[in-house]
Amino acid sequence: MSTSGKADKDRWEELQIDRLLIGLSPDEQGEYETLSRQMHSDPSGSFERVVASIDVTWLESNSIPLPEHLRKAIRDQAVQEWLSPAPLLAKTLTVNRTAGRSTRLPWIVAAACLALSVFTPFLNRPAKDILKSAAQLRTELIASATDIIELKWSVGPTPIAGAEGDVVWSPERQQGFMRFRGLTVNEPTHQQYQLWIFDKNQDEKTPVDGGVFDISSNGEVIIPIHAKLRVADVYLFAVTIEKPGGVVVSTRERLPLLAMVKRT
Amino acid sequence: MRVPLLPRVAQGEIAAIDECLDRYGGLIWSLARRLSPSSPDAEDAVQEIFIDLWRSAARYREDLGEEETFVATVARRRLIDRNRKLHRIPKPQPIDETTLTYASPEVTPIETSEDAQRAAACLKKLRDNEREVLELSIYHGMAHLGISERTGSPLGTVKTLIRRGLTQLRTCMRLGSRVSAEGGVAL
Repeated sequence: MSTSGKADKDRWEELQIDRLLIGLSPDEQGEYETLSRQMHSDPSGSFERVVASIDVTWLESNSIPLPEHLRKAIRDQAVQEWLSPAPLLAKTLTVNRTAGRSTRLPWIVAAACLALSVFTPFLNRPAKDILKSAAQLRTELIASATDIIELKWSVGPTPIAGAEGDVVWSPERQQGFMRFRGLTVNEPTHQQYQLWIFDKNQDEKTPVDGGVFDISSNGEVIIPIHAKLRVADVYLFAVTIEKPGGVVVSTRERLPLLAMVKRT
Repeated sequence: MRVPLLPRVAQGEIAAIDECLDRYGGLIWSLARRLSPSSPDAEDAVQEIFIDLWRSAARYREDLGEEETFVATVARRRLIDRNRKLHRIPKPQPIDETTLTYASPEVTPIETSEDAQRAAACLKKLRDNEREVLELSIYHGMAHLGISERTGSPLGTVKTLIRRGLTQLRTCMRLGSRVSAEGGVAL
């Protein structure tokens, strides 16, 4: 490597690190972009990944819970964003920041006002018409995934009369949906349903938690599967009834539904 | 390995938003608190980070990196960018306060990503002075000058130690050429 080449590489690394830790001035940013075009092998991602990995390492074990009011604001804003035609928030954010205001949540208020004034008819539509429902997502998954497993529920050791339905699962996407009809409506403060996914690569005693859910209707209900861990080779889905919030290890005393993958 | 949530966010599944808030809220909030000059500023920042996250959800690719790392990358970029735009660098806290408020982080996470576990293992291999400056810079968000004052090392030495430490970590984590060739956690 030539002297100038080494100098460029040194400077390049220096700028990458400063960019991650303290940020770059406009001049430095220009220099960074020039060098990034010159450097054939751009290693910026690796330094960035190292720092991000350290952030995760140090902060996950020392993290402070997100305040509830902040969580609610973020969630509300996210739903609002889902309800809005795409660029609404981007415009609002720009306006607020260039105006130099630093009060809390100004853009949420502005976004809400703008949305209400411009898109009132749109927003007055029921959310289910706008948001993608579980039924839509299920249909899309079945249409687009090439490895769909589709199974009928069968009765478990403690059946619920009239309960039926099916489960679809894409191993590649790790996504799936359960469909139920006739499953008893539960009182969430008293008990909840919980899905378990049995993986051939995992001990039968420790199936993957597929998520806690509620049944609010005797009619058709579609529930997305939220596997907490990657499922490599599923062979059985099981629904149990547990205490509110679910359990880490089920006693399997109340197990109304099963869906077994048939091996050919 | 945990199942990523961002693909579900990208599909417009509201339930995935809740799970993301559960899974990453503490990480992002903690990072924002450490790298922001005030609590109100951290609140603004954390909301902007989540907006960034929702919008970049479709760009996340599981084969190029773990979701936790991706989230931390999005968060740090936004926080550093905010500080730079506002011409601010978080003020280094007085030594006693730093020591009291921000004790050294634990480096043995129980249930975290493979990247983070690898980083934790590699951090242990660094020299004490390298690890110390990285901790002050990355974890406490201190500027180089503040680290120099804190450690008594010349500014040039601080920069050298940071760079050497990160380079060694990069090598140790074996991320260099593979990641750059694949695009890493490019957003």
